[in-house]
Amino acid sequence: MALVNVYVQFKQDPEAENLLKALKDAGYMLTGLRIERVIRLEGSADTEKLLPMFVNPLYQTSSYKSALSETDGPIIEIGYQRAVTDPETPSVFDGARALGVDGLEWARLSSRYQFTGATQAEAERIVKENLFNSIVQTIITSEHPWDSLRPHGVPDGVKQFPMSGLSDAELMKLSNENSWYAPLSQLKALQEYEKKIGRPLTDAEIEITVQSWSDHCYHTTWRSLKLMDRLQAATAKINHPAVVSVFKDNAGGMKFYEDQVILIKGETHNFPSAIATFGGVATKHGGVIRDAIGFGRGGYAIGGSTIMGTMDPRTPAADVPSGALHPRSIVKESIRATGYYCNPMGIPMMYPAFRIHPGFPKCMALGHTMGIIPEKYALKLDVIPGDAVVLFGGRTGRDGIHGATASSAAMTDESVTKDAAAVQIGLPITERKFMTAVPELRDKECLRSITDLGAGGISCAAGEMGSETGVRLDLSTVLLKDESLAPWEILLSESQERMCAAVPQEKLAEAEEILRRYDIEYSIIGVFTDNHKLTAYHGDTLVADMDMPFIWKACPIEQIEVKEPAKIDRQVVRAVPSTPAEWKDAVEKVLTHFHCCDQSAAGTQFDSTVQGRTVMGPYGGKNGRMRNDAYISAPIRGKAYGAVATFANNVFYGDLDPAGMARLSVIEAIAKAVAVGVSMDDIVLCDNFYTPKIRPEVAWNLRAMVETISDLSETFGAPFISGKDSSSGTFKSDTGEIIDVPYTLVVSTTGRMQDVCKAVSKEFKKVGNRLILLGKFDASKLGGSVYLDAYGERGDKLHDWGNMWAKDLAVMYRRLNGLYWNENPIKSASAIAEGGLMLRLFEASIGSGLGALVDLSAFPDEGRKDGNLFAEAVGSILVELDSFEDPAKHFGGLPWLEIGRVIGVPEIEIKDKGMEVLQLPIADLVKVWEKPFAEVIR
Amino acid sequence: MSSHQPSAINHQPSAGPVVAVLYGPGINCQEETAFAVEHAGLQAKVVNFHDVNEGRENLTDYQALIVPGGFSWGDHFGSGRIFGLHLVARVTDQLQELVSTGKPILGICNGFQILVETGLLPDGTVGKRLGALLQNKSARFESRWVDLVVTDTKSIWTKGLEGRVLRMPVAHGEGRLYWEDKSLIRPCLCYAKDGQPTEEYPLNPAGAPGGYAGIRDKTGLIFGLMPHPERASLDWHGSSDGMELFNNLARYLKG
Repeated sequence: MALVNVYVQFKQDPEAENLLKALKDAGYMLTGLRIERVIRLEGSADTEKLLPMFVNPLYQTSSYKSALSETDGPIIEIGYQRAVTDPETPSVFDGARALGVDGLEWARLSSRYQFTGATQAEAERIVKENLFNSIVQTIITSEHPWDSLRPHGVPDGVKQFPMSGLSDAELMKLSNENSWYAPLSQLKALQEYEKKIGRPLTDAEIEITVQSWSDHCYHTTWRSLKLMDRLQAATAKINHPAVVSVFKDNAGGMKFYEDQVILIKGETHNFPSAIATFGGVATKHGGVIRDAIGFGRGGYAIGGSTIMGTMDPRTPAADVPSGALHPRSIVKESIRATGYYCNPMGIPMMYPAFRIHPGFPKCMALGHTMGIIPEKYALKLDVIPGDAVVLFGGRTGRDGIHGATASSAAMTDESVTKDAAAVQIGLPITERKFMTAVPELRDKECLRSITDLGAGGISCAAGEMGSETGVRLDLSTVLLKDESLAPWEILLSESQERMCAAVPQEKLAEAEEILRRYDIEYSIIGVFTDNHKLTAYHGDTLVADMDMPFIWKACPIEQIEVKEPAKIDRQVVRAVPSTPAEWKDAVEKVLTHFHCCDQSAAGTQFDSTVQGRTVMGPYGGKNGRMRNDAYISAPIRGKAYGAVATFANNVFYGDLDPAGMARLSVIEAIAKAVAVGVSMDDIVLCDNFYTPKIRPEVAWNLRAMVETISDLSETFGAPFISGKDSSSGTFKSDTGEIIDVPYTLVVSTTGRMQDVCKAVSKEFKKVGNRLILLGKFDASKLGGSVYLDAYGERGDKLHDWGNMWAKDLAVMYRRLNGLYWNENPIKSASAIAEGGLMLRLFEASIGSGLGALVDLSAFPDEGRKDGNLFAEAVGSILVELDSFEDPAKHFGGLPWLEIGRVIGVPEIEIKDKGMEVLQLPIADLVKVWEKPFAEVIR
Repeated sequence: MSSHQPSAINHQPSAGPVVAVLYGPGINCQEETAFAVEHAGLQAKVVNFHDVNEGRENLTDYQALIVPGGFSWGDHFGSGRIFGLHLVARVTDQLQELVSTGKPILGICNGFQILVETGLLPDGTVGKRLGALLQNKSARFESRWVDLVVTDTKSIWTKGLEGRVLRMPVAHGEGRLYWEDKSLIRPCLCYAKDGQPTEEYPLNPAGAPGGYAGIRDKTGLIFGLMPHPERASLDWHGSSDGMELFNNLARYLKG
């Protein structure tokens, strides 16, 4: 087989220019940088004829030898490892077909970087620290490093594991040797099952079981603590008329208008993102989008989020625990990955957010999808024996094997290399094709049921779909990326971009035609049966034959010990600012805090208007950088019905009181929805937990958090309809240091509103309007605030009044919402959260070009003066009331303070009893606010 | 509040001219583009390139062609490269017939990139590339709202809009127009600051020279632009300025 390399050079190369600038800024000694792209081809194809695909001679040149001269500086070439398929490879094949070129067998891509002015050692350091991911990439050192480019090899056969007579220690040894990560109780259950069926279990059978029983899939921790029951009981008790589908499916569904259902799902992908951020974050999006596509009988994604939690990206490299990636790299790579995946998917970004906490060496990587589906297709049908099992989308490869069990295990220094297979390269183009095709398949009644492939691969998708009937698969029919896959690997592979559907036999031909029309690869891999068994063959070889009830219902649940943790007792040390300089410093510290500063340098890299549904994007206002409280979509074309999404999470509050943090997260998410105009009757909730690895104190806190949100959900009448938990937030460095993630809960609301034209945005509208702070307020409760964090303190009390407070809040929110529908006197609104009142005043000013005058004497005297501006009075809403309106008329009986006015000068002016405390031009504040994040991702 | 009647627009797909909105793998703006066409009172049909390729559809059966935005074939090797290659390799005759029979052609974002890859823009030379849309100067994908000033009304798409400033979103990573022969470049729409073309970032997110955001061919029938008019087609998008282009198409086709 002939191997040919095509080298492509750009006449002008912004990527190289920007990289050079960034590297110079970061202190590397460089005078020049060039990037040459390499396309490696295998086969007998006429390369000349393929060149129009690789080169536009207007702005590119090409050659068959590298055009970089060795004398200009060290050259390092980076490409994917041979086991990985390049994202571009299928396009090369497709392009070759269009050009009528035969004989192409494979294509791979790489990039050659030349670092002028650097030594070889310096160049290697630059690559290692900035450009290279050893988990999926390789440094290519010769022109033809491989005898063939294809990922290939010889597969193993089916292995058997006799467990009879093995001691506990021997079982554990077997589990570790095979990366099953199963607890002893599960191994013993397997041993018992072996005895019952009278033959040794196969590799596939054990793998299927431990995957299905992993915490990731079976939620063993939550089940043991009965947390699922608690949350689901609350939802059942609320019995909300809008709820269509809860917890059972891939996402939760809420009735919308005109017989449509809006669905929501959030999913973390922490472990892969922590060890190989680009692949991990890309597949985080791919996975959570597929949850919408695989909802009911086939949904469609209409919004996404990305929420990252890392250590401070400005942490010196020496202070990052060994075995963890540098947080700056995680942040930057996550941005690149989110753009790489979500933009081609054409899914508008609803909410991009980046949070920091020293407990995040094992980062948090969360993504949401909002979707839409006609109500009549919102519930899956039971499969019927005889239905075909159709697998479509991407091909099956070695990627992602052991993803579920690895993600449930603690991250260790070792795992950065050991579980490389858990990391995958997403291919958004593949997923996009079937996202377009699935609604057509559905509307033509081709899908009895559909689900995506995630943890556990084919075994889980087809197995769960057939759990009440049975399924028989022939793995030799599965289309592979890599011929070396053993049968159990085909069954368990978590390769991305695959869907599994139950297609009635009489609809099969039609379904195949639709899949072909959308250029989607598929294969019919089996049939649903009625024998309640999961049976898999590879040709004639039996790979697995197990009883469905054993897989889905027999997981032993271990008791988890629960113990109340010691109370933390701390006082706020910081003194109230007393001079204008101290006040100014405080304001700037808050506005430049990583959580409050301008993160739009990341957010504007994600398409937020695609699909033509966006009414309120992640940013708004005059300069397009004011963060909005909510994302509003008008999903039904030409209709003003709104689907509203809000998000809340705080990584500091949990350090003081996990249950309080959980409460405030629910309240903040609801307050944001109410602020833009959603009624309390039209809100449902979704939870995503990320907590340290379970131990008695963690179990206590976890339980307290779940009980809190369950109670709160009942009080508000806002049910949780979807949720996900990860109890694996513990990092262990190679020096044995154990670092827990902060107790993290992300709450999102999904709301509906009849008319998006009635939505209220955050920016100020009119000079002279009254500023009313609506809600209970205590300026001494500064605990967990950004303000204290900026001065290195966590403080003591959260701005929190316990669960019964929700009753008062609900009354207040209903009253406020009532004003929105006729001659609304409320001109702008923003929910108070991190950064307190100050951040809202600032944002509403930059969004409007106006300013605010605030009088501190409007606040109760007993509170801290700095707390007036910086306390995070979650639940409260800052509203702008028409100047001629009487606040008492609208808010009588509610807690409210008239704190100031909108002014025509773009500045924040703070007075106290007539005395000037502070006068800050917005333009000056913008200059400091826009810097920190932009510098991190430069 | 159940008593409230939601805002709705008067949207009646009508009989008459039919516009092809071309779909290919990775194109992802076909639905909203078709909606904007219908909102202008025309009929839209999403035509799958697969069907064109297999002879089940013919682009010349339609009164106009719109190539919408997206990431066709993942934009591998250059935005619009592979879709452009497919169009030229497989349906050159149809493209040439569209040109010779004077049918309007519009490319939006990736569609613009595709038209440039086919040679339809800047000068109607199918199979001969005379321009390109290069990576943004920022080397980033840019998703923002921009002001655009109409600088040329010799196109059916911008007729009557002289000097108007239109507000629309952009969302692209490669929007910097590049050419070798400037005489072929006829800018109609420019990123604007205070109503004047600008190269200032981020008002001109691509760093496009001259502020050029949209160009036409010599006949004024073929038009390509990086911003997304279909995403600014309803009041609640924040701007409905994008409808000006689709309304112009409707006026032209309905005579």
